[in-house]
Amino acid sequence: MEKPVVVYEPFRAGLPPMRAYMRSLWSRRTFISEFSRSELREQNYGSVFGQLWLILNPLLLSAVYFLLIYVIGGSSDATRFGHLTASLFLFYLIANSLTGGVKAITSGQRLIMNTSFPRVMLPISATVIALFKFIPTLVVFAIIHAIIGLPYSWQMLWAIPILLIALVMALGMAILISCINVYFRDISSMLPYLTRSLLYLSPILYEASSVSERIRTLEIANPIFFLLDSWSRVVVHAEAPSMNGLIHASVWALFLFSTGTYFFLSRERDFAVRL
Amino acid sequence: MKDLGLTYTTSIDKKPTLKARIKTLGRGKKHTRIVRALNDVSIDVHYGTVLGIIGSNGAGKSSLMRVISGIVPPTQGRVEVYGSVSTLLALGVGFNPSMTGRDNVYLGGLAAGMSREEIDENFDAIADFSELGEAIDAPMRTYSSGMFARLAFSVAAVVEPDILIIDEALSTGDAKFKEKSLNRIKELRTADRALILVSHALATIEDICNEVVWLNQGKLMMRGNPSEVIAAYREFVNARKSASSDEDV
Repeated sequence: MEKPVVVYEPFRAGLPPMRAYMRSLWSRRTFISEFSRSELREQNYGSVFGQLWLILNPLLLSAVYFLLIYVIGGSSDATRFGHLTASLFLFYLIANSLTGGVKAITSGQRLIMNTSFPRVMLPISATVIALFKFIPTLVVFAIIHAIIGLPYSWQMLWAIPILLIALVMALGMAILISCINVYFRDISSMLPYLTRSLLYLSPILYEASSVSERIRTLEIANPIFFLLDSWSRVVVHAEAPSMNGLIHASVWALFLFSTGTYFFLSRERDFAVRL
Repeated sequence: MKDLGLTYTTSIDKKPTLKARIKTLGRGKKHTRIVRALNDVSIDVHYGTVLGIIGSNGAGKSSLMRVISGIVPPTQGRVEVYGSVSTLLALGVGFNPSMTGRDNVYLGGLAAGMSREEIDENFDAIADFSELGEAIDAPMRTYSSGMFARLAFSVAAVVEPDILIIDEALSTGDAKFKEKSLNRIKELRTADRALILVSHALATIEDICNEVVWLNQGKLMMRGNPSEVIAAYREFVNARKSASSDEDV
């Protein structure tokens, strides 16, 4: 008798056979993109502006926050506005990935109960959706950048590695939180407060340099503080990012990604009975 | 096909389900209940077999299908699958109601593990089979439930796996479409394929299957020739029915 193609045995904690898992994940990449696209289209389905909301949303958002700093701070300038929009857009890449990821598994119940596929596809789609929402905002920022006359330099190429770090971090967070939400559903109700705190604790409405030394030390616990700071330095001020900031962000990103994936992959075979 | 062996052996499968979850903010106690969905069930299915699975509600039929297809890991025992498995446990998995029928054919097909090229190739066949005509380009939320089921079945029916598992998906659409889908399943009965069919429609099971398994409360009650097993099952159901009707009096 030939060797069986697949063997299912009692569930033990630990990782599934990784090579087979990755192969099956790769073979379903078109499903991930198609699934993300349809989710994205559904979110704006039936609205008058439709997909235009992908650009209108971030614009309105930055306008509202600009108003806020103007009222609180009494004054504002173009650089400040540039910093605000750039940081806010990157922040929303991470926040959208979190809010999409938290329900990725629990709302994918029908899929999970009826088809066998690598479950990690669902939080990956959440991050892909967040990325799809982020790309138009990059264009919006490029236009704002040109209009308000911010400087350009070769240092701006640092934006690419920073974006990669941000993506790994967003993905890690989505995977981790989707898994936690299976066991602890309350996390989805707590998430809005979590993202809001992250928003205020990160250099978005203010610049990192305006924060006192003591607070900056405490901000080591904030995964995105130095990431956003580096991002703003690079795309707004056209300066090189601080190496410490980049290292801090990479360490956090790798930590979140590896714990998230380990946690998820070792538990995912258990999801179907817990939904 | 020379690879004739297709062995499923699931033995004693306890399925722990977390019915009530953590109450007070995670620190409360967990409410767990252990459901023995499958208890020491051993079946081997060979290529060329059309296996019907019958049993009353809650007998463990769907659990067995989920274990075989790898959706739920067994808690004991072992499942060995020799070939590609396609499951049709519920219709329209992965469909998105705000997309058009056409988009959903792709979405559903990709969810079922087909590649985009395969769907491209089969698209016309799927559309024809569903008999939706121009409605295929309308959003699915405008579909009637029959239309929805027809499209869902059509997508599932073009997948040609080595092992096909169908869970009560036959009861869709009107009589005409039902017959059409039944014929499609009959077409899929070939020597190099194994079909597993879960249904309450005993006549259908008797008609298409060449072997039947009867499950009751997670246990394998009987296995063998369709007419014999179905007769025994009918007797069992009737006996229970008369007993309970006596109690009512």
